[in-house]
Amino acid sequence: MFEIVYSPAWFYGKDLVIDAVGIIILFLIGFFSLKYYKINPAKKTYLWLALSFFMISLSFLFKILTNFRIYYDVDITRNIAGMVYSYDLVRYTDILFYIGTLANRILMLLGLYALYSIYSEHSKSEAWFSAYLLVIVAVFTHSNYYIFHITSFILVMLISLKYIQNYRKNKSQPARLLAASFGIITISHLLFCFILMSQLLYVAAEIIQLIGFLLLLITFIRVLKDGKKKKPA
Amino acid sequence: MARKRSRLDIITDMLASIQDKGGEIKPTHLMYKSNLSHDQMKSYLDELVGKELIGKIKKSSYDYIIITDKGHSFLQKLREMQEFERTFGI
Repeated sequence: MFEIVYSPAWFYGKDLVIDAVGIIILFLIGFFSLKYYKINPAKKTYLWLALSFFMISLSFLFKILTNFRIYYDVDITRNIAGMVYSYDLVRYTDILFYIGTLANRILMLLGLYALYSIYSEHSKSEAWFSAYLLVIVAVFTHSNYYIFHITSFILVMLISLKYIQNYRKNKSQPARLLAASFGIITISHLLFCFILMSQLLYVAAEIIQLIGFLLLLITFIRVLKDGKKKKPA
Repeated sequence: MARKRSRLDIITDMLASIQDKGGEIKPTHLMYKSNLSHDQMKSYLDELVGKELIGKIKKSSYDYIIITDKGHSFLQKLREMQEFERTFGI
């Protein structure tokens, strides 16, 4: 079974650390959103926000598990025409890679869509149909990696636009940081669309993603800090 | 037009009013500061006392409402929530 490795060998493991940082930050925001939902169960958007962040966080966990297996648990790795392929002769029928990638893609797309739908008006049937289409994209474009990345790029871009609108409305510093962090994450998703062209693009996308995540963490810390000192509006 | 205050908004306003007054306030002042009718305030006070977020004391023959430590930390959580809502636009 052939598996394409997007990362250059010297970057093995470093991308896993970046994704792990993302998991922690996304989980933290999801956890706090769930905590706030428990305080105010009437506000269902807290629950949706928590669910979205948990799904995206979980999708990164599947990405780590899949990549970890490719990097460290394969029998033979070959570099063919500049692209690293790994194949496992012993476990030819191993479906871990397929399931891991699929779970990563489905959770990422559904998580991003759930986040986007918080800010846009949808009927229930429209939402279910859109979710169905996203699952179709994830399942039936397994070999065409860029379709997944283009779809996630569009979703992150739409979310970023909503956060820019929100910043223009309330002009708060944390809202500005949030819009900036999602803007940076959008750029990383754009770069992920072209990673087959050069492994360095994968490295750049991962580093930009890390910057986006760290900015998201700074935003969250700022929210907690401002919440402590500010009087309610 | 200003949106209608939620139950949690009213609780935040009440706890913040007490805190702003140094942790203790007369019931009538709280009623005016929180923009509540007498009946509404009574119902909210009963709830907040029940949850130990506020307490009642008597000082030189006047009734005072005080905010408890639990009330202070709950108010902080509510403010965090408001900032979180504002940031995420929810």
